[in-house]
Amino acid sequence: MDLIALASCLSSPACIVTQSTGGLIIGMLLFLVAAGLTLIFGVLKVINFTHGSFYMLGAYFALTIFQFTGSYTLTILGAGAATAIVGLVFERLFISRVYGQNVLMQLLVCYGFVLIFDDVVKIVWGVEFKSMGMPPAFQLPPLFIAGGVVPPFYLFLIGMAFLIGLALWLVIDKTRLGKTIRAVAHNPSMVAALGINTGFLYGLVFALGGLLAGFAGALAAPVRSLTPGMGFSILIESFIVTVIGGMGSIMGAFVAALALGLIRSFGSLGFPLFTDGLMYLFMVVVLIARPTGLFGKEIA
Amino acid sequence: MTQGGMTRLNRRMLLKSAAAGTAAALAAPMVARADSKSIKIGMSTILSGRVAQLGNSSRNAVMMEVEKINGAGGLAGRQIEMVIRDSKAQPQEAARLARELVNTDGCEILIDAEASSGAFAVHEVARDLGMLCLHTNSETSSLSADPKLRLPNAFRTCRQGIHDSIVGGAYAANIAKTKNLTKWMTCSPDYAYGRDTTAEYMTYVKHFKPDVEVVGESWPKLFQPDYTEVFTKILQTKPQVLYTCLWGGDITAFVDQGNIYALFGQTETFAVNMADYTALTAVKNLPRGIHSGNRYIKTFPSTPENAAWADAYRAKYNEYPTNWSWENATAMHFLAVGAKQANTADGAKLAEVLKGLTIASPFGADGKLTLRGEDQTLVGYAIGWGTTIPNEPYVTDMLPGDWNQIFPLEAEWKKSKNFT
Amino acid sequence: MTRRSLALDVAIGAAALALLALLPLVFPSKALVDFLIRGSALALFATSLNFLVGYGGMVSFGHGMFFGLGAYSFALLMQRTGMPIPAAFALALIMCAALAFVVGVICVRLNEIYFAFLTLAFQMLVHSVIILWVPLTGGDQGLRGGIPRPPFLGINLANQMHLYLMSCTLLIAGLVLLHHLVQSPFGYTLRMIRDNAARASFLGVAVLRVRLTAFVLAGVFAGIGGVIMSLFVSGAYPEFAYWTISGEGIFMIMLGGLNSFLGPVAGTVILLVLNDFVTRVTEYYGLTLGTVILLFALGLRRGLLDVLVDLWHRNSPFSKVKA
Repeated sequence: MDLIALASCLSSPACIVTQSTGGLIIGMLLFLVAAGLTLIFGVLKVINFTHGSFYMLGAYFALTIFQFTGSYTLTILGAGAATAIVGLVFERLFISRVYGQNVLMQLLVCYGFVLIFDDVVKIVWGVEFKSMGMPPAFQLPPLFIAGGVVPPFYLFLIGMAFLIGLALWLVIDKTRLGKTIRAVAHNPSMVAALGINTGFLYGLVFALGGLLAGFAGALAAPVRSLTPGMGFSILIESFIVTVIGGMGSIMGAFVAALALGLIRSFGSLGFPLFTDGLMYLFMVVVLIARPTGLFGKEIA
Repeated sequence: MTQGGMTRLNRRMLLKSAAAGTAAALAAPMVARADSKSIKIGMSTILSGRVAQLGNSSRNAVMMEVEKINGAGGLAGRQIEMVIRDSKAQPQEAARLARELVNTDGCEILIDAEASSGAFAVHEVARDLGMLCLHTNSETSSLSADPKLRLPNAFRTCRQGIHDSIVGGAYAANIAKTKNLTKWMTCSPDYAYGRDTTAEYMTYVKHFKPDVEVVGESWPKLFQPDYTEVFTKILQTKPQVLYTCLWGGDITAFVDQGNIYALFGQTETFAVNMADYTALTAVKNLPRGIHSGNRYIKTFPSTPENAAWADAYRAKYNEYPTNWSWENATAMHFLAVGAKQANTADGAKLAEVLKGLTIASPFGADGKLTLRGEDQTLVGYAIGWGTTIPNEPYVTDMLPGDWNQIFPLEAEWKKSKNFT
Repeated sequence: MTRRSLALDVAIGAAALALLALLPLVFPSKALVDFLIRGSALALFATSLNFLVGYGGMVSFGHGMFFGLGAYSFALLMQRTGMPIPAAFALALIMCAALAFVVGVICVRLNEIYFAFLTLAFQMLVHSVIILWVPLTGGDQGLRGGIPRPPFLGINLANQMHLYLMSCTLLIAGLVLLHHLVQSPFGYTLRMIRDNAARASFLGVAVLRVRLTAFVLAGVFAGIGGVIMSLFVSGAYPEFAYWTISGEGIFMIMLGGLNSFLGPVAGTVILLVLNDFVTRVTEYYGLTLGTVILLFALGLRRGLLDVLVDLWHRNSPFSKVKA
């Protein structure tokens, strides 16, 4: 425990800026992944254990697209689109067969795919870890804001993630499609009775989840080393975020992800050895106080 | 891109053993030993998951040497048949596989290419079953240094943390003396290897330059993807020197992320595991001037034998050898020489010959490697430190470590741990 | 399932044990012995998990923490103190019960998903403690140096055959006890709570107390599995307390069948055979296991034993239930 370091940081604007940036990076990436997860759960009542693999695929697609095109814009869009397609196919061909089944059976299907995707990545891209490298546009020296150090790429990452999150909220809240998705979450049979193709909607939701995870993978790729199995750690953290925020609530995922990012960032100063434990402790505390998460509702 | 790296020999063997073995495992009595014309050698390693490159490069090296040995007549006239299995980095699997390889598949010798906890698990099986066991990847010093763990049939043919720390500490202290660097920070993965290596390294730096001060430490989790909190801590503390023993994908990510903070221009960095081809080639913008010890570098020792071995490996597998590669090749070299000397491939007799055996090797500091008699571990291998450059050969100005300096310090260390 | 008396269970168990004891004489294979030792450890773990999941409706993702704690406490006690094996065994189980009590008190009031995640969180906390408390647990390298095995009552566990017989005895005894619990009034109350907790509570059942008791019992049996595994590897490793063990437990009960008492045992055998076979044949274990899991989950849709039991009920001339 090093509370002195923590206290001295909190009294220094430079440190606050630097640490908060760090916390925001972790938080925003986590939010993108968790948002897809919580959306899928909220609408389809499926715990998508494969979501970490979507993130991993997004990162690998980004690696390959960047290798071939050299354009980071194309990379982000392409990786997102490709992962969205994976999500769509996954849902239509496999998940749709286990709706309404025991949740453990759904989990089993997802886990089967986690194993398969890990090996597929190993076969296609090889076992050695890979690095995408920083796109030339961002090979810039870090900025100094209020004395704190802020790399320009991280500003871009935070901004993009925020914009994507905003777009997601607008779609779900303001558009007709979003209304339909929310409706099908509440009352699928009514929506079907109104002549809307619910199967297609379900596929779309999964595709949306894949899109978000793919974006996250592509945004993280320049600063991560890619290996088969890299999806796992972000999966566990996304689950924690989803559970803390309340399953089905995108706002909850946003708040919880940011909270977790900041806890990790500042927590690593004050509790360098127990940073992971802090996360689990936070989850335990929230669940004891509010068993359905911060913004969650009691599931009937 | 790597193919499986399996030769036809290996695949045929696996299918044969799979068919026979599964039935045998659950019904028939123990499979009879391979006919006296061949000898089965088992190998338990990690071929999947994050550390798959460990098993992959270990296996590559072994198979390359096996081909050479078999081409030259085998071990005392017996052709080697390798049986290689994946423990998936689970120590209970490693233990089970070791037992299966010996009990069911009739392997007479075991190559333990597991990492840390897996190696200890296999060591217990070696204690129970008594077959000749060569540890080729575990660098934890206590595996050979702790007399309570010692077995007459277990040897370690790879590098050890304590040797690396002494050499690394001495090199760093010299640089620190020349440039007067006293404020240090460390960043190492939070597990036994990271903790022990860092502690030992800093002990020896301070041994050679006592006014060095560690002003901050970071302990990220192994395989942690994001190091932002480490960089912000470094930027806050502003040390003159950064030490890290992160390895593999972690050091790659660390350097990639450190670059965007423009870290390496301002801070002298000592990265124990940077000089490994997989890391060196993966990092897209390798900064100049990072100090690193040689995990495996083709140009150190700068002998034609070393270069030839690396080139042969590269030609065969289309990738560079790793630290694990040379360590596993060394195990096979020792077996070959030992079998010739003892004129048998019998495990027990080989064990007697291996104890204290010196062989010629491209990886030796003076062209020789020895399995020290007192603790049955490898000594005399080439350890050196140099600085990175962005293209081939990636590391220059290599300064070799001095084994005459290592031995007394190592003895002192053993005494301090009550290992004597 | 009709009610069977404890005596009948014991008789069946004794017969099974006799069979297991004779098996290595008929098939003298060391691999078979090793397989059954591991199988005993994991089958007890899986059956104890199903006691919670299948019979109690409490899906725990953190059950591995008891497997790990059983292994570590037993191994530590044997390595550090000179105590006889039965004493260390008993103490290890007491520690599992204590942990189960503490965790259970906090968790059993939560509903499904949150119960699952919270048990997982606790398991990860236990795992973190094991990794961090290096002087006691050896950290990520585990407990090294082997487990001393002083002979007791003429049993020498350094002998693989003795270890085999003891593991089989523990397995059979554990299964008989668990089955007895399942068939007892406690077991029926547990199932009543599983089916409709509100109704059970209206009938005056102390729902939380019954759940807590079930949780503690399950933890103890999982701990026995951990002890057997620690003897098999002669040590204890943090992997024993990692979430993957809990995940394997879930697969075993899904593959074997949630609704049959012996389903988890069947699932354990299936998973172990699969594991051993696939490891011999290919390095693409994930691809193969993943495909098999999909075939089960999408094709069979139920555990193997459940399917077989259903077939039996449909086709048996003795069954009153027709297709």
